[in-house]
Amino acid sequence: MRIATERRITYLCFLFIPVTLFSLFYIYPIFKTFMISLNNWDGISPTMSFVGLGNYIELFGDARFQVSFTNNIKWLLFYMLIPSAVGLGLALLLNQRIHGKSIFRTVFFLPYTIMPVAVASVWRWLYEPGNGLFNRVLTGVGLGKYTQVWLGDPHIATYSIMLAALWWSAGFAFVLYFSGLQNVPAELVEAAHIDGASYWQTFRAVVFPMLLPSTIVVLALNGISAMRIFDIIYSLTRGGPAYSTDVLATQMYDLSFCRLQMGLGSALAIILLLLSAIIVLPYIYYTSRRLEGIHQ
Amino acid sequence: MNAKTMSDIMLAGKPDAHRISSGKAILYIVLCLLAIITLIPFAVMVLTSVKAPQELIDVLSIPSKLYWSNFRNGLSLISRGLVNSALITFPAVAISIIVGSFAAYPLSQFRFKGDFLVYMLLLSGLFIPYQIVLIPMFQFLRTISLYDTIPGLWLVHIAYGIPMCTFFLRNFFAIIPISLMEASLIDGCSIAGYYRRVLMPIAKPGLAALFILQFQSIWNDLLFGLAFSHGETVRPITVNLASFVGATDVQYGPLMASTIVAILPMILVFLLFQREFIVGMLGGSVKG
Repeated sequence: MRIATERRITYLCFLFIPVTLFSLFYIYPIFKTFMISLNNWDGISPTMSFVGLGNYIELFGDARFQVSFTNNIKWLLFYMLIPSAVGLGLALLLNQRIHGKSIFRTVFFLPYTIMPVAVASVWRWLYEPGNGLFNRVLTGVGLGKYTQVWLGDPHIATYSIMLAALWWSAGFAFVLYFSGLQNVPAELVEAAHIDGASYWQTFRAVVFPMLLPSTIVVLALNGISAMRIFDIIYSLTRGGPAYSTDVLATQMYDLSFCRLQMGLGSALAIILLLLSAIIVLPYIYYTSRRLEGIHQ
Repeated sequence: MNAKTMSDIMLAGKPDAHRISSGKAILYIVLCLLAIITLIPFAVMVLTSVKAPQELIDVLSIPSKLYWSNFRNGLSLISRGLVNSALITFPAVAISIIVGSFAAYPLSQFRFKGDFLVYMLLLSGLFIPYQIVLIPMFQFLRTISLYDTIPGLWLVHIAYGIPMCTFFLRNFFAIIPISLMEASLIDGCSIAGYYRRVLMPIAKPGLAALFILQFQSIWNDLLFGLAFSHGETVRPITVNLASFVGATDVQYGPLMASTIVAILPMILVFLLFQREFIVGMLGGSVKG
């Protein structure tokens, strides 16, 4: 019994630092942000004025918030569908008996290794209205009338940023799917071919179901990336022109740290947290079920 | 057409193989096109970084002579940030891994009441949008006089690295057979001694993969750098680059040069340690 107690104390010692830091840096701030969201506060003065749910009501009536919210939903749909599908496509193309597989793999994954700020930097230049690559190429091939002010036109700016984000993030889903495909037994695919199944039939009935775990991970992580998206938008447009590319994360940063409206910023952060929770809780539930399965 | 003729010659007399092979030729062409599209932004970055301003009009042209002033000008704007980023990243990565291993060790080796709850709690930290912590952490860092200091950014990166490091190392430790620990304990090793002398040395490949994963996430961070630092001697390179990118009138030559400098460490790590890099990324996401 004494040995068991001693061991227990040792585990607790190990857990002490991480759990303390976690409480201080995750649990306490969430609670604190919620408290601030019920007040008006400039972040400097020693007292706050309590406004109840006033900040939330103000946000829902605010046109800028409505745009940010809609943009986040667009980003969510975009991230869950397009980079995931492109990544799957690349993985399927590469999952053949071909030469140079590892070179292609390196190339397709390369953009994902660089920082989003650098992605913004290059794409700002590609999108430059005068000499940027996009408008140059369009003019060069005789499609000059389709040239755009890619980042300056409020109607298309968000989609322009999405294209840059696609270039950056497709490699993530690609690597996950590519490794997922290694777990699909070749005999199974061959058996389907021998039975006369077409490539598409084999994919739908044999390969894709076996990629379900990868798909769940890709969708969950891309979903959460979409809710968190900040760096690339902040660097490229700061949410402009006219707030047209704002998302909840960029608006929250602007409200809190540029305009010092900490109460409103906190309310926005709480809304962002709740939305993210809706997306990620099913995934956590799924993972925990799987883990409990492993435990037993 | 060309490729088809080639496969004709190579596979003469094998009609069945021939059909598959012309499909392969198309596959190669498609893959090469996709690879070129992927690489174009990198090519533009490199070409622009060594071009004189008057040559920028033709974006894809080869520069008539290498114009290194872009790197000089770009570096003058971001070199301090580069140093700061290195000073922030290396200690933060190392300490975050150690702190994560403190949690991962008990969670992977022992069953105790509430272990699963602690693990799921730490895991949920992976999915939190950091906006939720910015304001209280800004206050907190100012209270403890660590706002706008490099140790303050260490602390932040260490704390927000806990979920990933714990998650990753717990999975890695879990595959090390429990009998090894039992044997070591019988040999008179203590619980802490097993961690220090046996577990951590065995886990080296996992630690290497996690090092790269954490290096990427801290080196590439913008949000914490923006929110928790403002002085030139603290701000990381991402913040410098973001204000460069966001300026109204941008000199693209120096901008591309400094972008290359900012991404080069990560690209090198990726190319040199590709296996560890990908193992790290998969370990950080796929395995439950």
